Amino acid sequence: MNALDKESASPHGNRDAARPTNVLIVGVGGQGVLMVSKVLAALCQSEGFEVKQSEVHGMAKRGGSVFSHVRFGEQVWSPTIPRGEADIVVALEWAEGVRWLDHLRRDGGTFIADTQRIVPPISFRNRTRNAASAYAPETPAEVVALVGNGFALDATSMATGLGDRRVANTVLLGALSTVLPFAAEHWLAVIEQFVPAKTKDLNRRAFLAGRDWAVSAERVPAAVATDAVAQKVTARAIETAPAHLLTINEAWCKGCDICVKMCPERCLSLNARMVAELARPDACTACHLCEWLCPDYAIRIESTPAVKGAS
Amino acid sequence: MAAEGIDEFDIRDYLRTELMPHFMCPGCGHGIALRALLWAVHEERIAKDRLAIVTGIGCSGRVGGYIDANTFHVTHGRPLTFATGLALARPDLEVVVITGDGDCLAIGGNHLIHACRRNLRMTCLMLNNEIYGMTGGQVSPTTSEARLTTTTPYGNAEPTFDACGLATAAGAGLVGRGMTLQTVALKNLIREALAYRGFSFVEILSDCTEIFGRKNDLGSSPEMILRQKGSMRPDFYGNTVEHPFRPNNLTTGIIARNERPEYGDTYRSEVLAPHGHGGAAAGVSAPVE
Repeated sequence: MNALDKESASPHGNRDAARPTNVLIVGVGGQGVLMVSKVLAALCQSEGFEVKQSEVHGMAKRGGSVFSHVRFGEQVWSPTIPRGEADIVVALEWAEGVRWLDHLRRDGGTFIADTQRIVPPISFRNRTRNAASAYAPETPAEVVALVGNGFALDATSMATGLGDRRVANTVLLGALSTVLPFAAEHWLAVIEQFVPAKTKDLNRRAFLAGRDWAVSAERVPAAVATDAVAQKVTARAIETAPAHLLTINEAWCKGCDICVKMCPERCLSLNARMVAELARPDACTACHLCEWLCPDYAIRIESTPAVKGAS
Repeated sequence: MAAEGIDEFDIRDYLRTELMPHFMCPGCGHGIALRALLWAVHEERIAKDRLAIVTGIGCSGRVGGYIDANTFHVTHGRPLTFATGLALARPDLEVVVITGDGDCLAIGGNHLIHACRRNLRMTCLMLNNEIYGMTGGQVSPTTSEARLTTTTPYGNAEPTFDACGLATAAGAGLVGRGMTLQTVALKNLIREALAYRGFSFVEILSDCTEIFGRKNDLGSSPEMILRQKGSMRPDFYGNTVEHPFRPNNLTTGIIARNERPEYGDTYRSEVLAPHGHGGAAAGVSAPVE
């Protein structure tokens, strides 16, 4: 934790006093990235700093990538943070944090991230069940070791414990408050301006929970929790491994070619005898389209007992 | 893909498998339509003993023979008349009529409008492939304009029938249209029709690949079924009741609802009961519902 001088115009231990402090807030649409950046910008403004904020959100509907740049100091010229110049990166979602890691200063930047994983469908290598995922493979422990000052907390679980997972962003604000030179009361006063009246108390508790977590010494449990989750996912994958069985009744097939052409994964083909066969069993996702469109009922897709039990 | 609380649908449970593979040509849409019907029967939990299928003549008429239920293969154009007698005498049965565009609109056109008028509880599935396929490819009342058939070698000049508009105008209780490309939507539509208390009419757009498709150079089976989405189907399939023949894009789903008294109920309460015939006249116990 940086011991900060409240009188300093560049509170985050900058070498150059004229240099503004750069905070990059990232996450996915719907998490409250912009709320975090609005609170921070309003607070800095009320503390007498010049603030510039810029954000991209128009393209990021719910689930898409959202980021917001907040820069504050005596004098701020550009509204965007150059790569490698962010003093603090606040990530509301784990992979988004890893994605923006290159914007963090290499000498002592602070990285605050929720370890909660929101896995987008596009991260899977193919569309079969239990397919390998390309989602950020780095564990929180690895990333925290990489950065100067790392906070990896399971803010979403903390927020869920407090009663509403939507206040996870306020939990992260609490953690962020420990590395910026503003009093907790000021933070809370600004947060209350931005949250609905009914949730003021909840947000207060969330803020304090995040702050308490950041000042306390234990920063490892989040990593352990994530590993446990990973183990659970793997266990489930093994349990449901053979998900379905596609069988073709050769005696009934008339080779009309409908299944071959309609298969979205192109996994069927007609063999030399003009009978459909499953040429690429690995690519089959059991979407049932071939079964439904076969005029001769030659194709049948059966769920295996493992899947029947799971559903 | 099982619906709530039912076993997974296996079409072989509903087929006379000893007759399979069926006689239909490669790529024929009637097979897909039959799957949709049997799938709907499965999800509506209709026991096979309670299911009565009545079919006419033509490719569509042969479809019924493969169903492992009570099936009647009757004279050309008259499945609706047989079904009317059956549904009146045995209101405990689920009567389903499978008919074709020629069977239903040309030879049995008169019976269709009177069946719609009565609103007796049954389900009529009209498999529309725009042609008399079985007899060699003659022009039918739904053959699109300019299409080639054996009886229109220079292209069909007759305007077509809009079967759904006709059924709606004649007073059918529930009128819908589905296509074999969208099997699940078609299945859901047939479920609605089966559950409806009254006369329900479903037009199913199906492909005749070997006769109609070949003659008109419409491409392979997959090309034909994909065309159901777009250009192959004529503009005459107007959708709305107000403008039944308005050039429009193809509309599927439920096209009209016409809430009227069900004829069987009316007949039993207004005609039989006052004359002391009661339930005994029908020769069966009360309808099982």
